[in-house]
Amino acid sequence: MADLVLENLTIKYGDVTAVENLNITVASGEFLTLLGPSGCGKSTTLFSIAGLNHATSGTIRLGDQILFDGSNPKATLPPEKRNIGLVFQSYALWPHKTVAENLAFPLQLRKIGKSERDALIKESLDLVEMSPYADRYPFELSGGQQQRVALARALVYRPPLLLLDEPLSNLDAKLRERARVWLRELQERLNVTTIYVTHDQSEALAVSDRIGVMSMGLMRQLASPKEIYEQPADAFVADFIGSSNFFEAKMIESGDAHALVELPNGTRIRTTPAKRDHHGALSVAIRPERIEVAAEAGENVMDAVVRQKIYLGSLWQYEMSAGETSFRMQLSQEIDEGPIKVRLPREATTIFTESARG
Amino acid sequence: MSASALSIPPPDAKDNSRLIFWGISILTTVLVLGPLVPIFTQAFLDRPLYESSAAFTTANFIRLITEAGIGRIFLNTLYFGALTMVIAQIFGAIMAVLVGRTNLPGRRWLGEIFIWPLFVSNLIIAFGWITMYGPSGYITLLAKSLIGGAPWNLYSVTGMGIVAGLSQAPLTYLMCLAAVNKADPLLEDAARSAGAGPFRALFSITLPMIRPAVIYSASLNFVIGIEMLAIPLLFGGPSNVQTATTFLYNNGINASVRPEYGIVGAVAIVLLAVVALLVWLQGRLMRASGRFVTVRGKASRPNTLDLGVWRWVAFALVFAFTFLTIISIFGGIFLRSAVTFLTPLIPVWKLFTLNHYELIWNSSSYMRSISNSVIVSLVGAAIGTVFIAIITLISRRSEFRHGRALEYMALFPRSLPGIIAGLGFFYALIWVPGMDVIRGTIIVLILVFIVRYIPIGFAAISPALSQISEELDRGARISGANWWTTVTRIILPILKPALFSAYALLFIHFLKEYVTAAFLYQPGSEIIGTTMLQLVAQGDNGPVSALATIQVAITALFVILARRLLGVKIYG
Repeated sequence: MADLVLENLTIKYGDVTAVENLNITVASGEFLTLLGPSGCGKSTTLFSIAGLNHATSGTIRLGDQILFDGSNPKATLPPEKRNIGLVFQSYALWPHKTVAENLAFPLQLRKIGKSERDALIKESLDLVEMSPYADRYPFELSGGQQQRVALARALVYRPPLLLLDEPLSNLDAKLRERARVWLRELQERLNVTTIYVTHDQSEALAVSDRIGVMSMGLMRQLASPKEIYEQPADAFVADFIGSSNFFEAKMIESGDAHALVELPNGTRIRTTPAKRDHHGALSVAIRPERIEVAAEAGENVMDAVVRQKIYLGSLWQYEMSAGETSFRMQLSQEIDEGPIKVRLPREATTIFTESARG
Repeated sequence: MSASALSIPPPDAKDNSRLIFWGISILTTVLVLGPLVPIFTQAFLDRPLYESSAAFTTANFIRLITEAGIGRIFLNTLYFGALTMVIAQIFGAIMAVLVGRTNLPGRRWLGEIFIWPLFVSNLIIAFGWITMYGPSGYITLLAKSLIGGAPWNLYSVTGMGIVAGLSQAPLTYLMCLAAVNKADPLLEDAARSAGAGPFRALFSITLPMIRPAVIYSASLNFVIGIEMLAIPLLFGGPSNVQTATTFLYNNGINASVRPEYGIVGAVAIVLLAVVALLVWLQGRLMRASGRFVTVRGKASRPNTLDLGVWRWVAFALVFAFTFLTIISIFGGIFLRSAVTFLTPLIPVWKLFTLNHYELIWNSSSYMRSISNSVIVSLVGAAIGTVFIAIITLISRRSEFRHGRALEYMALFPRSLPGIIAGLGFFYALIWVPGMDVIRGTIIVLILVFIVRYIPIGFAAISPALSQISEELDRGARISGANWWTTVTRIILPILKPALFSAYALLFIHFLKEYVTAAFLYQPGSEIIGTTMLQLVAQGDNGPVSALATIQVAITALFVILARRLLGVKIYG
């Protein structure tokens, strides 16, 4: 097992830059998720690690083996020499081969003898609990079963690195939640370095050691799930992970312990300190579930109106307005439409100096 | 398996993919462009190519422009091509709408019969028409005895164009039928609920949707008309009407008597330029028409339009048409092969004979042409299928930098009329030292047939290939397979049904081919088509029809076997 290192990785298609100057080090045994909206470059990055598309510059190393070197094209390994396991979104099981034959193919290519091959196939199928289906053809399996076989095929030759390209996206919601728990358990048991690509933030939060949030070819933040959720590096991350309300605001007073800002409706609230010294227009982010109902006036409390309530099963979501500003609030209990006081807790706020879509 | 389990290293096999990419690309380029070089060279020489005293000249082209007869030839060619196209479009499109969209009685079997002409060469069709509608043809004589005269003259450019058009109508029919069947019936239903009557819906909604199919098949048929040899040759001979192909054929074949090399080269280049231009236009047309193809996927059966009582009128017309232009042509050939001569004046059973078949059975060269045809088709189609499959895979499914260029090269033979391909190979075999080893063998025929029909095979394989998710190849690559292993172990096995279809199509085309072989065969490498061409010239109609019947029988047997055993769908 070895570290995977991406250095200054840039991928261009003609004039379009799909991935720009990416630097990631994935530690041995780590579960790293690349998360972002479609077109953000996450799958492009994954496939360039696999060697299935070509990076433009930079380097990719696995341990002391160079997989790609933009300054030395001769050193670049073709995909078949990289010894990486890859699970595709569509699973890509070969339809003319049975489950066992699908697993046998990579081993045959590696000139593994029959008896050892059968043992490896059994071990791998046992791992994903698919041994009883060894003689079935892919079309005879359900989506969840196909996904397990695809994983078994990617693991059967014991690659040091496992790449997963949205492997759960074709499963229905219930199954998807079970599969991600199971997947994480399996990965911990095997201790295989894993890179996981998804656009589903709850999946990313649930399974990862670290998450890399990407947008428009750039890495916006690379940190633990907790840090990503609670201390988003920028407005994009704050908005993409979970959801956030953004209030336009004016800086009144910027201190080390806190900042004082003024909202368009004139309310002044205290927030967590600004990262950079900034005066003038900015935005304050707060998640809908962090806003509280206040009984009386006090710090960070403002008047608002409940415009509409929506029942979401586990909670209630309220469309709110305060002066010209509208925002969203989530509570576990039901309240009536009409005027109300709400508190924006200081520790739940984050100040950004750029807009969410930047 | 545990964390300590050692990883199994990837295979260390040598990767020959690059060698295959370059090898196939170079081979394709040589085969496709090879025959053009000597033609271009010849066009600018004052003497035969192989004579060392030949010198550069532009006289051939000057003669082309100035000589009166030659302008006439090109006018004939264009008129013939245009008429072929118009006739084919009218009958093909009407038939497609009738079969695909109405409750015409017997539309299934009428549709089946309608495509018969596609399975045989237009040499056989031309011969069949002469047998039935020629100046002393069966139906002509019948008309004379019944109504005192026959109001048609086959031996004119118009006559040729009508026959060629009718023989190409099935192509239009198939393309339009596919479009009609693919059209979403919901669109027509929507028009109906918006207040349109059934006929109004048909004309305003369905017909515009088959427009791309009509346009595309029109351009195909125009090119096919211009390239066609047999019908102009057989019909134009007696009345001395020439088209570009018959000019090339007559002057190329008789070159030993009357050396006309230079002018042949020049005419060939002009013909090539015209066809290349048309094929290019075709590509442009298709790109533009892509905009209105909004109908995709879902092969739902469209509602049929009830013709009411009129369906019996339509049936009578369609049946009469099918009988007079297809069934009687095939029937005439079969009948002619078993009588001493064919005439409505004497009952056929009194003229019954097996002499023509005996003649063929006893002649080693006739028997050889049959066995050669079968070998060329069986073996050549197999080699061709493999070769074309590899070309398709390199151009569509590899990291080869020049994949697109290879595809353009492989599709170029669409612009290469068969007669020019044959002539070019013929020149090349004389010109290039060392080529006489294969000259006059069926190996040459297999080579030139494959080159000519690469686009047919490509068109059969590439849509099926694009149905196979690229993730399947990628999965194989990441599992440790190099490109070639991926192709042989993963893609080709999945592609098997398309390969069978490509094989069947190539077999049929190889079996009916004659133009391309006209310059290339020698005693020992004759095929059914070239032997028939020779016999027609001698006026030996009995053996010609016997050979034609044998060729139709082989084709029918093959089609039935291919459908049964390989499950291949040929032409819909």
